Amino acid sequence: MTVSHATGGGVPLLRTENLAREYALAGAPVRAVRGVSLTIEQGEYAAIVGPSGCGKSSLLNLLGAIDRPTSGTVLLRGRDVSHMRDREATEFRLRHIGFVFQRFYLMPMLTALENVELPMAEAGAAKRARRARARELLSYVGLEARGGHRPAQLSGGEQQRVAIARALANEPALLLADEPTGELDARTGRDVIALFDQLNRDGVTIVVVTHDEVLARAARRVVHMVDGVIVSDERNGPGDVGGPPRTTISPALVDAASPFRRTPG
Amino acid sequence: MDSCIPCHPIVVLTLACALGGLPRAIEAQGDARAQVGAGRVEDVSPAPAGALRTIAVDERLVADRGVRLGDTLTISATPGGAGERVVVGAIVRRAADPSEVARAEYRVRLHLDHLQSVTGAGDRVDRFAVAVTPGSTDAALAAINARSFGFRAHRSSDVAAQASRTFAVVSRFNRAIGVISIVASAIFLLCIMLLKVEERRRDVAALRLLGISRRTVTGAVVIEASCIALLGSAAGVAFGYVASAIINAYYRGLYRTPLAFSMVTPGTVGFAVLLSLALGIGAGFLAARRLTGVPPLSLFGR
Repeated sequence: MTVSHATGGGVPLLRTENLAREYALAGAPVRAVRGVSLTIEQGEYAAIVGPSGCGKSSLLNLLGAIDRPTSGTVLLRGRDVSHMRDREATEFRLRHIGFVFQRFYLMPMLTALENVELPMAEAGAAKRARRARARELLSYVGLEARGGHRPAQLSGGEQQRVAIARALANEPALLLADEPTGELDARTGRDVIALFDQLNRDGVTIVVVTHDEVLARAARRVVHMVDGVIVSDERNGPGDVGGPPRTTISPALVDAASPFRRTPG
Repeated sequence: MDSCIPCHPIVVLTLACALGGLPRAIEAQGDARAQVGAGRVEDVSPAPAGALRTIAVDERLVADRGVRLGDTLTISATPGGAGERVVVGAIVRRAADPSEVARAEYRVRLHLDHLQSVTGAGDRVDRFAVAVTPGSTDAALAAINARSFGFRAHRSSDVAAQASRTFAVVSRFNRAIGVISIVASAIFLLCIMLLKVEERRRDVAALRLLGISRRTVTGAVVIEASCIALLGSAAGVAFGYVASAIINAYYRGLYRTPLAFSMVTPGTVGFAVLLSLALGIGAGFLAARRLTGVPPLSLFGR
């Protein structure tokens, strides 16, 4: 089963150049992302870590064409996604980016199978084809027997696995996850981490924003952010799930409740 | 009165106008079993000379005074006046006439010559009805209007329409109240939809982030609102039928009339369903636009 499209040779899957994002908060500008340049190659599994408010979710939003940068560019497969109009960005996200959220956000009135079908239906896939793929994806995440269940009938871990299957529905080039284990207990969190690891082994490019040290250890690459800038970019060895950390997240980075840096004046 | 009238077998008069206070002048006698005719006068052929003449009485009189078919009564034009003994030859059921709902007087039917003799006023008749064979109404109207002097014949349907103008106005008021109720319900529906979509801000935001278009989200909300409107309409129609049946049963009993006080017609149902569906679609659209017009990140509260 294909879970992700391979990119063309030579071009990095994702590249940002001097990416910056400022917000106006109570009249004062807040610089959430400051001059971030980052390259993600096809097949990478990167975790963006850092203290709350360091700008990692803002960066993820820019990478996923959810938000527009104040300056700089985001190139996905060489295509600038940073200044797309809303409709174009929506279509782009549908076909090229998969999202996994902390709180799953499955549609409560739809079954697990229907939730997975949803992006494919939006993309215009034929009913039979999308149903078959939804079954395959549910089987991939270990929930083939739960396709007829609604989200309320599933555990948190199961819901997150359905959400991951939904994110893979249109064979995205890039899977973005924002605190995917944040709502899960340690055991179900480990199941999701193992699933991400398997996905990456099967070729899915993953960028995950997390506070979860275990999840960060499982990633092949760990990008540390503080106050909107990347302060370190390290690579883990393969197969670190459950093993000792090769990248140690500084307690100072994790614990410091750093507010967004405010520009003077 | 002119001589052409007696050739018609039955003449209906509103006795209230010619014989005010009749109930007090009636004496019930005899013990024959009453039979209620289904809206027809039965056995009212003129009695032979010397025998008692027959009249037809209102079923209300039957119910209130215990009058039975074959009873002998005395009727007079004035209360306490010298009367004439007659036999109840038929019992008639009242037609559904809204102009008579609240009128308490009784009615009796006599042959025209009989009424003239009872009242002693041979040519003082305000209004009477002539039964004609089906299809001959126009010819009868023309014949009567050509020969009579001081009378004008009208179709009973025209007279009914004239008499029902007040009720047409009441009916329009009722319709206006109905429309206002539906519009109020639509506003209620809009509020429900706004609350429902407000509950789903984050779900909608997630859908938008997943790449689901505004159009799809709007369509889903509109479909949901339409379903709510249709279900509400179905419940409303069912409730309307039940309420209508209860209202009719109560007021028919109260006023002793077959009149329908409340009607849920197919036209009413169709109008109500279409209007609520249209308003439901509008409410869903407005509610959806309220959410899809906001950037997804703002819906997430970021």
